[in-house]
Amino acid sequence: MSQSAVIDIRDVSKQYTVKNEVLPVLERLSLTINPGEFLSIVGASGCGKSTLLRLLVGLDREYQGEIRVGDQQVTGTSLDRGIVFQEHRLFPWLTIEQNVGLGLENSPWGEDKKKQAIKEHIELVGLTGFESAYPHQLSGGMAQRAAIARGLVNRPSILLLDEPFGALDALTRSRLQGELQNIWQREKITMILVTHDVDEAVYLGDRVVVMQPRPGRIRKVVAVDVPHPRDRSDPSLKALTEEVRAEILHVSPSN
Amino acid sequence: MSASAASSAASLSTARFLRGLVVPLIALLAWELITHYKLANVHLLASPSAVLKNLTFQIEEGELFSQLLASLRRDLTGFLLGSFAGVLFGSALGLWRIADRLLGPSFDAAKQVAVFAWIPLISVWFGNAEPAKIVFIALAAFYPVVVNVHEGIRSVSREHVEVARAFRFSRLQTFKKLILPAALPSIFSGLHLALIYSWLGTLGAEYLLAPAPGIGNLMIEGRESLAMDKVLLGVILAGLVGFSLNSVATRAESYFLRWRVRNA
Amino acid sequence: MAQVDLAYKIATADAALDSIPTEPRASESRAIDYRNLLRPALGWLVPVLTLAVWSVAARREWVPPQILPAPGAVWQTLLEQVRSGDLFLNFGISLGRVAVGFALGCLIGVALGVAMGLSRRVEDYLAPTFNAISQVPVLGWLPLAMMVLGIGESLKFVIIAHASLVPVAINTLKGIRSVPRNYIEVAEAFQFKKSQLLRRVVFPATVPAIFVGLRYGLTQAWLSLVTVELLASSEGLGFMIVWGRQLFQLDLVLSAIIVVGVVGLLLDRGLARVEKRLLRWRPVWDMTGAGS
Repeated sequence: MSQSAVIDIRDVSKQYTVKNEVLPVLERLSLTINPGEFLSIVGASGCGKSTLLRLLVGLDREYQGEIRVGDQQVTGTSLDRGIVFQEHRLFPWLTIEQNVGLGLENSPWGEDKKKQAIKEHIELVGLTGFESAYPHQLSGGMAQRAAIARGLVNRPSILLLDEPFGALDALTRSRLQGELQNIWQREKITMILVTHDVDEAVYLGDRVVVMQPRPGRIRKVVAVDVPHPRDRSDPSLKALTEEVRAEILHVSPSN
Repeated sequence: MSASAASSAASLSTARFLRGLVVPLIALLAWELITHYKLANVHLLASPSAVLKNLTFQIEEGELFSQLLASLRRDLTGFLLGSFAGVLFGSALGLWRIADRLLGPSFDAAKQVAVFAWIPLISVWFGNAEPAKIVFIALAAFYPVVVNVHEGIRSVSREHVEVARAFRFSRLQTFKKLILPAALPSIFSGLHLALIYSWLGTLGAEYLLAPAPGIGNLMIEGRESLAMDKVLLGVILAGLVGFSLNSVATRAESYFLRWRVRNA
Repeated sequence: MAQVDLAYKIATADAALDSIPTEPRASESRAIDYRNLLRPALGWLVPVLTLAVWSVAARREWVPPQILPAPGAVWQTLLEQVRSGDLFLNFGISLGRVAVGFALGCLIGVALGVAMGLSRRVEDYLAPTFNAISQVPVLGWLPLAMMVLGIGESLKFVIIAHASLVPVAINTLKGIRSVPRNYIEVAEAFQFKKSQLLRRVVFPATVPAIFVGLRYGLTQAWLSLVTVELLASSEGLGFMIVWGRQLFQLDLVLSAIIVVGVVGLLLDRGLARVEKRLLRWRPVWDMTGAGS
């Protein structure tokens, strides 16, 4: 497992030009993410949170400012930064096992180590027994779990998740949030989660970054000093959730 | 499913199957009646019974099987040639935008010209014998393969391409592991169509170019001796072979593409 | 119904090819306009190059002029044909045949597609026969059609109509089938009568699919027209090709082929423009309910 490094986002801005009109998406965003922490980024639609994540992953390279991981500039994708998308994006012609193995395609490990890693990660997400199934045979939740396994299999030091549970029903979402928390506690890597679900953001995150739209900026960073594993009915969690929600809705929280 | 529900479902599907047979049976009956009683002024149609008689004759004395084999051999050669070239060309169009920009419009224009229109030119440039026929058959197979391979490669979803980028796939890896499998259904569609069109091209080539053993030859002989039963026999045989080729292609498609979900 | 999927795929493929993003591009900084100018110019590069090589080959007589006439000769022949009125005569005849055959094919195709789409019973009766007929490309029916109809005008109309009606019917059927259930349920909730359901929900949703079928049908109509004229006609553009060959005047053959190609291209692009304009004014219907 590679050493988690500090992620440094400095004065990052981005615009889209649509038909001679310049639309600012992000405006001078600065943020530092500590190694091993779970960071939630939450905000209304259009606040640029997904855009920020894509810049972090390296799928998008056009921006102003600096993004550094450790002392390296982010100039493209890296095997050290895994990503889980909102759609599972599994390859339909591969079995689950082969899909998870996709993450090890460019790994320098030997065959045995790869096989072992695949097996471990399928177990980690609770899909043992489904190795030879095809994606269309799985439910949405199961497919997304496979996507998480794929994102983790080559042991990146950072995992980015772009609204990973957004397409799932509430019950599955709840369950997977708990599982994600367990996985994070076990793997101890940096995780950055983008979501529009405030409960999810507070439940999972050590810190919650609240973003506001047009242009995308950080409104507030709320620290969640509740120890893991967390209980959803914890009153301090509930209070913090209300605080974050109020921030998003620009209403001062009632005392 | 309860026993009564199952049996009523079965009888429903039987009913549907039978309904489907109504039109073909009526057509067959009409065919026989019209030719037998000369009901309509149908120019040169032979009766089903006459065709059947000719069939047995051909099998016994006309070396039907060797004719059939000759046609199939021609067909296969042209099909393989045309499909191979088609896959290369279609892939080029799909993988490199510059190739698409340069060659796409010309191909689009050429596509508008019916394949048979090239026969006069082919007969001048390649003669009238075997090479010309194979070139024509290859041409017939070429078009559908190019269109389908091009579409298959271009419609690889952006979402999946991003996954490949996230895992730092090289261009070769992206092609082998993502583009090729994703485009495979379309490639198979193209090959399927090419199989059908190359068979038609085979018959056309045999009929229009120099006579040589083959099913088309059957039709030429029949035409020359005004033996309409022979011509019709050729047509029916051609249809049967085409139908079998189609079934083989469909079966191969569903075998290789097992992982696909049947939508709609 | 593999052939159905096949035909539908090809038909939608041509329509969809324009809108597919390939590599992720910097969609933000697209102020460079020369790119839009360059694109069509690139398409002309290959034809121009071909013309150049062709001219050189003809002038140097790498091949005897009977086999490869010079581009200049082909152009002259084309002008002559225009001047003598021959071209317009043949062109008019061809176009007329396509017009009649295509119109016929579209009417029957839409009717068939609608009938099969709305009534399972009708589909039971007609679909197997229709599938069998549509799986055989038009060319396959030509010998039989010639036997039954002779080689008069009716043969052309029937063949062209057949060629157009297959894709039109298939696409219409698919269009009706893929109207999202959601919309139908809304209509049910509002107690729509059957006629209202058809008029307000089903048909508007089917129009895009019908258009795809029309485009493909027109291409097929043009192709089959030329083929029939090649094999069983004494006038028309297809006949010009054969006639030129018989006279061993390849310049005639080539000029006819060029006209066929250009007209075909214009017809297709023209219909594409009409489609874009027509469908832009309509509300965007989500046709992906069935997972296309």
